[in-house]
Amino acid sequence: QVSVLYFARSAELAGLRSETLSVPRQITSLQLWEEIVKVHPRLAVIQDQVVFAVQQEYVLLGDQLLVLQPGDEVAIIPPISGG
Amino acid sequence: MDESEDVPKDFIKLKSEKLSVDEVSELVVSPCCGAVSLFIGTTRNNFEGKKVIHLEYEAYTSMAETEIKKICRDVRQKWPSVQHIAVHHRLGVVPITEASVIIAVSSPHRAESLEAVMFCINTLKASVPIWKKEIYEDEYSWKENKECFWANSEK
Repeated sequence: QVSVLYFARSAELAGLRSETLSVPRQITSLQLWEEIVKVHPRLAVIQDQVVFAVQQEYVLLGDQLLVLQPGDEVAIIPPISGG
Repeated sequence: MDESEDVPKDFIKLKSEKLSVDEVSELVVSPCCGAVSLFIGTTRNNFEGKKVIHLEYEAYTSMAETEIKKICRDVRQKWPSVQHIAVHHRLGVVPITEASVIIAVSSPHRAESLEAVMFCINTLKASVPIWKKEIYEDEYSWKENKECFWANSEK
């Protein structure tokens, strides 16, 4: 079970800011995205623009294998615009 | 003389209240430094012919602070003579002409602090998880920094 955080446009599309999701302990970042899109299909439109932050480290959507611990924080990160 | 002024410090704050240039520059002033350099990011009133009413910022706060700390660490590696660094970023609603970010760096001589300030703002725009929404009269738009390394937009 991981904690998923939504920001900016992804929070608007998902309709919430955070939730707990059950996912396999080992999963690629793309598979994790697909799990999340199953729950929130409207997120599919931003697939090409987002990255994850897993335990506050950026991870691109792709083949990278994630090893998740219970309670890990996964954030959906749309293109940033600070400063 | 307070000797703790000589220990280099990073002052990082994300807050919803109005930012103060005086407050941020006073944080980095130090007896050993002859230079304080400042960057202030302010909100423009227009974008592509549309009138901007105000901006709204949100942040992944814990990670934003960590990423800004990483920027400070990189600054100190590149410019070892840098003394203090302060980065204040506003969150929530920011009216036109008010500051959304203030960065101040002190160093004994001016070259390092000027270069470090530029590095800070450029890297912040590329790596810190903060988002800006521009509110126009009829609509709004989530902005995307061109520095963002994963955004595909050709704008």
